[in-house]
Amino acid sequence: MSWSWLIILLATYPWLFAADLLSDWTAHWGFNVFISGAAIVVPCSRLRRWQAVLFSGCVGFLFEARRPIPDGTLALALIAIAIFLTSNKPLLRNAPRLLRASLIVNFTATTIWFCATAFTLGQLSFNPLGAFLPQLLLQLITSALVSLILFWPLSLIQNSAMDYMNTPPANETP
Amino acid sequence: MDKNRQGAKASYVAFFVFVALWILAPSFVRMGTREAFVEFQAPALHLVAKGRDLARFWELKSKSSEELAAASRDLARINAALELKVRTLEDIRQENIRLRELARYTAPREFLTIVARVASRDSSSWWHRIILRKGRSDGIRPGCPVVFSDRVIGKVSLVHLNTCEVDLVTSPNFRCTAYLEGDEQGRIVLVSGLPANSLGTARAKIAVIPTDYVAPAGQSAKVVTTGMGGVFPAGLTIGTLDSNIRTTQEGNFKEGTLQPSRNLFSLQEVSVLVPIHPAAGEILLEKRYEDFQ
Amino acid sequence: MRDLNDLKVLPSTRIERLRLILVFWIFSSGFIYVAAGLLVRQWLQSGDLKEQSDSQSRRIILKPPARGRIHDRNGYVLVDNRVRWSVKADLSELQPEFQTEYRKLLAAERARETGQIDREKIQDSARLNVLQRWLDKVWFVIDATSRNIKKNKIPVKSNPVDSPSERLVKIDDLRKHLRERRALPYTLVSDLAFPVADQSITTEEGVRAVARFVEQFPVDGPIRLDSDIIRTYPYGTLAAHVLGYVKDTDELPPNTLNDEKNELLQKLHYTGKKGAAGIEESYNEILCGLSGWELWTKTSAGYNKELLRKSDPTQGSFVVLSLDIEIQRAAEKALAQIKDSQGKVLPAAAVMLDVNTGEILALASQPTFNPNRLADRVTRTYFDEIETSGGWLNRAIQGLYPPGSTFKVITAIAGMRNKVIDWDDILECGPSYRVGGRDFPEHDPAGYGQVDLEKMLAVSCNVWNYQVGLGVGIEPLAAEARRFGLDTPLLQMPPSADNKNTTELPFPANRGLVVPDTAYKLRIGAGPWTGGDTANTAIGQGFLLTTPLHMACVAASVARGETRTTPTIIHDPGRDARHQGAESIGLNGLQLAALRSGLNRCVEEGTARSVMIPGLAFAAKTGTSEYFQKGQKAHLAWIIGYASADNPAVAFCVLVEGQLDTSTWGGKTAGPVARDMILAWAKKTPVSEVKPEVEEPAR
Repeated sequence: MSWSWLIILLATYPWLFAADLLSDWTAHWGFNVFISGAAIVVPCSRLRRWQAVLFSGCVGFLFEARRPIPDGTLALALIAIAIFLTSNKPLLRNAPRLLRASLIVNFTATTIWFCATAFTLGQLSFNPLGAFLPQLLLQLITSALVSLILFWPLSLIQNSAMDYMNTPPANETP
Repeated sequence: MDKNRQGAKASYVAFFVFVALWILAPSFVRMGTREAFVEFQAPALHLVAKGRDLARFWELKSKSSEELAAASRDLARINAALELKVRTLEDIRQENIRLRELARYTAPREFLTIVARVASRDSSSWWHRIILRKGRSDGIRPGCPVVFSDRVIGKVSLVHLNTCEVDLVTSPNFRCTAYLEGDEQGRIVLVSGLPANSLGTARAKIAVIPTDYVAPAGQSAKVVTTGMGGVFPAGLTIGTLDSNIRTTQEGNFKEGTLQPSRNLFSLQEVSVLVPIHPAAGEILLEKRYEDFQ
Repeated sequence: MRDLNDLKVLPSTRIERLRLILVFWIFSSGFIYVAAGLLVRQWLQSGDLKEQSDSQSRRIILKPPARGRIHDRNGYVLVDNRVRWSVKADLSELQPEFQTEYRKLLAAERARETGQIDREKIQDSARLNVLQRWLDKVWFVIDATSRNIKKNKIPVKSNPVDSPSERLVKIDDLRKHLRERRALPYTLVSDLAFPVADQSITTEEGVRAVARFVEQFPVDGPIRLDSDIIRTYPYGTLAAHVLGYVKDTDELPPNTLNDEKNELLQKLHYTGKKGAAGIEESYNEILCGLSGWELWTKTSAGYNKELLRKSDPTQGSFVVLSLDIEIQRAAEKALAQIKDSQGKVLPAAAVMLDVNTGEILALASQPTFNPNRLADRVTRTYFDEIETSGGWLNRAIQGLYPPGSTFKVITAIAGMRNKVIDWDDILECGPSYRVGGRDFPEHDPAGYGQVDLEKMLAVSCNVWNYQVGLGVGIEPLAAEARRFGLDTPLLQMPPSADNKNTTELPFPANRGLVVPDTAYKLRIGAGPWTGGDTANTAIGQGFLLTTPLHMACVAASVARGETRTTPTIIHDPGRDARHQGAESIGLNGLQLAALRSGLNRCVEEGTARSVMIPGLAFAAKTGTSEYFQKGQKAHLAWIIGYASADNPAVAFCVLVEGQLDTSTWGGKTAGPVARDMILAWAKKTPVSEVKPEVEEPAR
């Protein structure tokens, strides 16, 4: 199904949006609930490459639309990750590997997003130890926790959406 | 397997071509994409905010009649007091009009007040913005001041069709002039937002405080707008001056931290003051400056 | 050992063992050297080294304090400090814009096909265009009052033809900046509140311009707002010669650091300001305050690491001048109205001082300068402008002129004290008087006939003075002039830090005062003294040279019936009215009364009658002397006197340097200035209440 990526995006969107709203709550303390990275892992395991790329790009843009990141940074980073994942499907062969991938991808995407934000706001130029690094560390821990906790329900939803769309399951054998 | 690998190579090439194209793409393409995604999210934001209002409505609806009776009694009292105040204010207004006519004084700025509800707060760290549920279609323009009763909330930075984003006073993109309470000479100081520290609350910096300024004893000095910059009306409270005032590196001035008014982060409703005649800053922001030339 | 050999790690052959031993010893000795060095460093030199490392790892940063204020006698602030807001462009952030503009210009140039393309020139104009666009935007915001916007009256695009210079980016400035300070931001508007140096805008308008920029100009982007403190002279040119101005210096005011202990430390400092003229210079020590300092440890890369100790800068003390801003303003306004036939202001000076205390109420000199324009970067053109107009010279103190007929007061006193003439003696005065075979003329060709002291002072009769002067002789006449202090420099003693109210100050010295006598003429090699020289001296001509301030002091002394007045520019409410070296004038009551009455008649019916003030009698003596200006004869207009006539409270002197083509007369030219000063004084002190005491300072 050529439109399955969009359907999965719509299925994923409430999660992204909920994370956004949750971030509103936590913005006061200066950290973000970031799951955009974790959200692309399961679709990457089953979708075809171009679909995964479109899906990841949209997830990235949805996150960065209202944020001070250089345009496209996160979206392009997610696309690059999606290309890598879809080319190395064995990495996503079973549940533990998917969880591992989700952790790593979310971690990487958080780092990219955070550094890009800091760069835009001119935070990198002064006092990296004072505000930047602790904040990054905090953010990374949060994102790892979030991807651990939310990965399972998210993957369930995405998988069921893909089952509904008759997307072939992931190729078990390399 | 081989086929997959080859495909991967091609995708990487395509990806880099796309990245290059994206970097070279004119800014309106990027802005357009960004706008598209903002508008994609707008209905969801509206929905959530409406939902919140609904929840509030049901919360109120579930109050017992005793509670309502007590509230209405209190309201009636407040109403009476306010009624009286309105009368006196009307007198003052008439007197004001009379004096203005006498002095042939033209009001420096006239505003349309647009009341807007807060849809959400923008959530990136260090970035202090709120999103309002009114936008271009309601006549809001970038650069308009946003206030809540007599307090400054911030300034509209971006306007979308049905939503707009407001830079709070603690945002690094916010800057205005102010007077400090207790400075009889009425010298202006500079208020500008600060990037927040990790886990710290948002703050703003007050710079160019004269070295001979002494804050009133026993209380934190109020920081109010000057009304000189043509954006904010005079006399609005921006916040209070933190007691910790230090001398700057050069020793020419002092600087301190602005404690924004407490409810800056829990606002439900604000007013956007849209000037009838746009200020120069708005013209610059809206990129209509070139038209002026 | 055997085990090791078994392992075959150690070399087995003899030659290899020798090598090993050699290497062993080389390494051992190296190690011993290092260890010994360490011991020496750690134990023996540790004290010295610690000190050295402290001094290398610490630095002191010195910060200039704000200078003290200068007030007038009523507490008005004559010199203050203010925040200066400037707009600067970050050149590195503008680099992409420069590039885009450069490519655009280059393409346009290529399209024109004009052969040789000067890339450097295009680069320059690209930068210029970009900066000019930003400057236009800055001005767009500064100019945009709501009224202007409503009327759509904002000039937006500057063009080189009719835009004022402050709205244009100057290519030479830009080139110089790029050459010398590329890493620093380029200043677009150096003073946002007063962007136009010549144009007088009110402080509030200036603040509004700043506020508009702050609130309306986009925060992000390459344009920054900067602020610092500069000296400001709220009244512009008013009393500029007295106040002086400030200039940049690397020598900061003293600080509280123990210099000996911190001798080794590296010291950095910001550029400070020091007084360059007038009170700013002479009271620099009092006004400058104490520099602040900070003791920092530094990183190996040279950045500041940790602040160990610090001391904030202390603002300098204030100085209260004896000037009265109203009188000063009246004097300067009146002086500015004296112009030659081409409408150029004439060089002139005016002084008014308190008769009793000697406190100077007004001290004006024209042409003048605006210290605000010198407080920061002084433009070469403005400096030259002042230079060519002669504006640096404080004519009231430094200007040396023959006093002309105003000197006749002293001739008369000398005559009476030397018993050559008495107050009621009448001399026959014809149209000229012959001395040594030469006719010395009267200024009225008809002559004045029978003239007594009073009439002489009223009509300024020359012949009377020739006769009296010759009768007295040059030595007693010169002695009389010296008795009135005409050879003594005034306002010369520098103040000291512990005695801030020392009354005199080292204004540029009024050196070159001349009270001539026979010895003087011989000394300058002009030959022996003649009777003609005496006659000339008697009417204030010849070799005599004095300053307007001296003549004002003479008027004050006469008003008090004394010989000396010590002028001062510092206000002190408790100042006693004793004057250094003053003695009684040495005339009897009748003589003094006649002298004063003659000065009164000068205003009532004499040479100063054109400036008579109805209802306010004052005493005056006018003078019109000749001097040589660039080898040509020109006239000087003088008037000295005191007010009021019956109850002298203020004394004054006005001098105007006439031009060749104008008719300059004491009463007509200098008189109005004196009148305006007296009126300004009288306005503050109603005549009925004129008392000899100083007014209570209203601070």
